[in-house]
Amino acid sequence: MKRPWFASGPFLIVFSCAYSVAFAMNWPLFIYYPLHGNFFWGARMRTGLGPAMVWYGLMASAALAALVAAVLIPESVVQRVLKGYLWVFPLGAMLVCLYLLRHLLFA
Amino acid sequence: MTTITWLLILHALVGVALLGAITHQAVSLLRRRVVHTGSFLDRYRSVNHRTFTAAVIALYVTQVILGAVIYPAYRLNVRIPFEEMALGWAIGIFELKEHFAGIGLSVLPFYAYTWSGDPAAAPSRDRLAICLILAVIVWLDFLVGHILNNIRGLA
Repeated sequence: MKRPWFASGPFLIVFSCAYSVAFAMNWPLFIYYPLHGNFFWGARMRTGLGPAMVWYGLMASAALAALVAAVLIPESVVQRVLKGYLWVFPLGAMLVCLYLLRHLLFA
Repeated sequence: MTTITWLLILHALVGVALLGAITHQAVSLLRRRVVHTGSFLDRYRSVNHRTFTAAVIALYVTQVILGAVIYPAYRLNVRIPFEEMALGWAIGIFELKEHFAGIGLSVLPFYAYTWSGDPAAAPSRDRLAICLILAVIVWLDFLVGHILNNIRGLA
């Protein structure tokens, strides 16, 4: 049987890890400046354009890495090694976000 | 009313539907007794998982798209006043909401995969945990959105 082109397990694992790293290191694929609707590739902040939004870029960074993994790594490989434990990855990413935002949440 | 206000109302309504659907499914997974007493809880846990899974995915994706469309208005009209009012915790819980929403979006393909087998079978650890993670994200995001809108709405 032909294997599906998209594997959800590898997608979940790589997205969770890539999102955590991208958020921690501030590696958005692009930054959006909503005041005038400007997009710029990369993580370099521009001045004089109003407030910046990195969330779309972080999502794009993580999704891109996860999509590559979902196409290249078969579901069976992940299920053989991590069956029953894949939920740990999104939970870990949530805890990383909580930790990285502690300066705002628990100030 | 502006378009953003209408979209925010739609965002809230879709949020209510999503909250109902994911809570229904999570309760059903946690309470899998087969004894039928006809009680409210017994009826509440009787869900068609395939239908609910499709509904949760459709509602979640719709919700994230609506949130992403409204987000620039929040960034310009709500977050800046929050900063001026020194409401760091409010900015923080919104950021937590957006990051959790993104992580929840990435969970959806695997969530669908866990339900692609026999839904009547005993819930696997992944199936139960992923459903509960989604439920926590949806509840947290709904409550945070509600609290922040009470502090300062978009319109």
